[in-house]
Amino acid sequence: MTMEKPRIGVYVCWCGTNIAKMVDVEAVADEIGRLPNVVISKNYKYMCSDPGQDLIVRDINEHQLNRIVVSACSPRIHELTFRKALEKAGLNPYLFEMANIREQDSWVHTDRAEATKKAKSLVAAAVNRVNFHEPLDARTVNINPSTLIIGGGIAGMSAALEIANAGKTVYLIEKSKDLGGHVAKLDLTFPYLTSAQQMMKPLIKSVKTHKNIQLFLDTEIKEIFGYIGNFETTIKKEGKDTKLNFGNIIVATGLRPSDASKVTNYGYGKIPDVITSLEFEEMLNKGKIVKKDGSEPKNVAIIHCVGSRNKEQHEYCSRTCCLTALKYANQLRSALPTTNIYELYADMRAMGKGCEELYAATSRQHVMFMMFDQQNDIPKIKQSKGKDYSMLIELNEKLSGEAVEIPADMVILMTGMEAHANAKEIAHSVGISMDGNAFYIEKHPKLDPVATTTNGVYIVGGCQGPKDIPDSISQARAAAARIMGIMAKGSVTVEVTTACVNEDVCCGCQTCIKVCPYTAISFNDEKRVSVVNEILCKGCGTCGSACPTGAIRSRHFTDQQIISEIEGLMSMSLSLELEEV
Amino acid sequence: MEYKPTIVAFLCNWCSYTGADLAGTSRIKYAPNIRAIRVMCSGRVEPTFVMKAFTEGADGVLICGCHPGDCHYHEGNYKCLRRFHLLQKYIKQLGIHPDRLRLEWVSASEGKIFAQVVDEMTEAVAKLGPCTVKEVMETLS
Repeated sequence: MTMEKPRIGVYVCWCGTNIAKMVDVEAVADEIGRLPNVVISKNYKYMCSDPGQDLIVRDINEHQLNRIVVSACSPRIHELTFRKALEKAGLNPYLFEMANIREQDSWVHTDRAEATKKAKSLVAAAVNRVNFHEPLDARTVNINPSTLIIGGGIAGMSAALEIANAGKTVYLIEKSKDLGGHVAKLDLTFPYLTSAQQMMKPLIKSVKTHKNIQLFLDTEIKEIFGYIGNFETTIKKEGKDTKLNFGNIIVATGLRPSDASKVTNYGYGKIPDVITSLEFEEMLNKGKIVKKDGSEPKNVAIIHCVGSRNKEQHEYCSRTCCLTALKYANQLRSALPTTNIYELYADMRAMGKGCEELYAATSRQHVMFMMFDQQNDIPKIKQSKGKDYSMLIELNEKLSGEAVEIPADMVILMTGMEAHANAKEIAHSVGISMDGNAFYIEKHPKLDPVATTTNGVYIVGGCQGPKDIPDSISQARAAAARIMGIMAKGSVTVEVTTACVNEDVCCGCQTCIKVCPYTAISFNDEKRVSVVNEILCKGCGTCGSACPTGAIRSRHFTDQQIISEIEGLMSMSLSLELEEV
Repeated sequence: MEYKPTIVAFLCNWCSYTGADLAGTSRIKYAPNIRAIRVMCSGRVEPTFVMKAFTEGADGVLICGCHPGDCHYHEGNYKCLRRFHLLQKYIKQLGIHPDRLRLEWVSASEGKIFAQVVDEMTEAVAKLGPCTVKEVMETLS
């Protein structure tokens, strides 16, 4: 540990006008420049730009700086950028601290004096803290070249084949007895009305016979331990425990159709010939479209948005149902040329390659399209007897404004898609987050749509949100490519901000062992002290705050660092108040 | 001069700090009295940190973590919750009004809620007036 006297360089960024408009950056740099150990304090237009970073590198060399503070945007955006600049100048990247004066200051306040005062206080806190920063050495870990894929649907299988074809081992876990997921249950696919079976059968066969894929059907995943490059889990199959070691994880658990009976207006489960889209798909697979009494339907209504785009069920759009409904109209028309077909839709969402064309083609197939208000006024099905109908659908047609009754003897409900009931368990076992609809959250919604905030864990297909087949496959192959990139490199640097125990101070109370969520701490009976397994530790710091003797240090979030940050924060707040008085 | 409280906030990195950043990127405005400190998990917030903030002159301390069940580290927020209840009792005995310490769950998507929490707390603490613990401590020593 370097105990040399801190020589701190402070850089206050304007971020163009983003910060400079609301914060007096010059005043901040001036005031901070007077703090102890601060050697230089500057302000600059764009610190993250190349010239901005060069400025830091030059100053480190010219002024023998050994600590750097950049006061700019959120550390979540540019902490890594500046750490790299420090490395370039030969300084340990952890001798750096950022003060967030954009997202948490200039962008959220309207009083320039107050925002400037706050900025001074935040930068002073960072300066105070950085005094106590210590160099930490990055740990490099080797990557286990095997991959675990959870879910054997179209996404999971595509990713598995991609990686297996590159010569790497894949463990593919599927909870059901069969591969293929929802797509394997489909008859035709939209928008080109090609056979799902012709596509899936060879795919399933190659997954099953691939020498690099170890398939575990009828298997569920329990807890997964470890970190990128070195995960492990134990799976139970036919009463036998198998231990698996792997370097990366792809979660491809998919989704499930929502419960149609929850939309009471449609009487699913009570009215005999009201069926769900999956039930209709089964009929198509058997090649026989018939009612419960065995006869062919004369009036078929297809109702869109069942359980989707409505505050009472799911607010989101399930994306694939409109096109599946159009596909049904086409299949019905060719199987039953004289049957009346009604598409009852809320909004027709036919985006994507070839999809609007399918809509146009369907509208030329003598199909009646009627629109309803999904938010306030969905149709209602009542049972009724008449020639060629057993139900009447009451609908306020939105475009014409007329109330109509549609006779039907078969109704197909286009049920939406929702996350699996056990989505949360899977999220916990691999350590990823879920959004409000229990879909998994990607690392960045635009720039990183397949990775997660947990290194080494990727999400693909429906578990991230409703998707069609090509999107699921694209995402699956993207994740596979990312993983193969890491495997090609062979190693990766991992977080060093783990906990460690000062054995001289540890009293052996074992409180830390009880609070650790990762069972990363064990007890050394001989020495009577706690020992942290730095491979399992994820650096949450819970043990550090529970330790009664201060024996546990949370690296980079030590007591001393945080306490000095509080002192810095408050010293500036108070001194300014005094000045004003 | 109008009294303006100072509030020190401890925000967990994964949910609440991200939520506070989102308030920024969404340009949601809130009271400027808050000073945030980033910790990896609300479970890292030691009672010492809270006491330190008060004795350094903070008028209120806000701790924000992930919603129950959503903790990035499985259960750090529950540990924070247990400590919070004890801490509230403790500060009361020191003559600090328990409302000066608050624990709120703010997810990464709740920028608006973060702003609301800050505004509400600023208003509540302003009503309580300055926290005098710092002066008391100085007199005692």
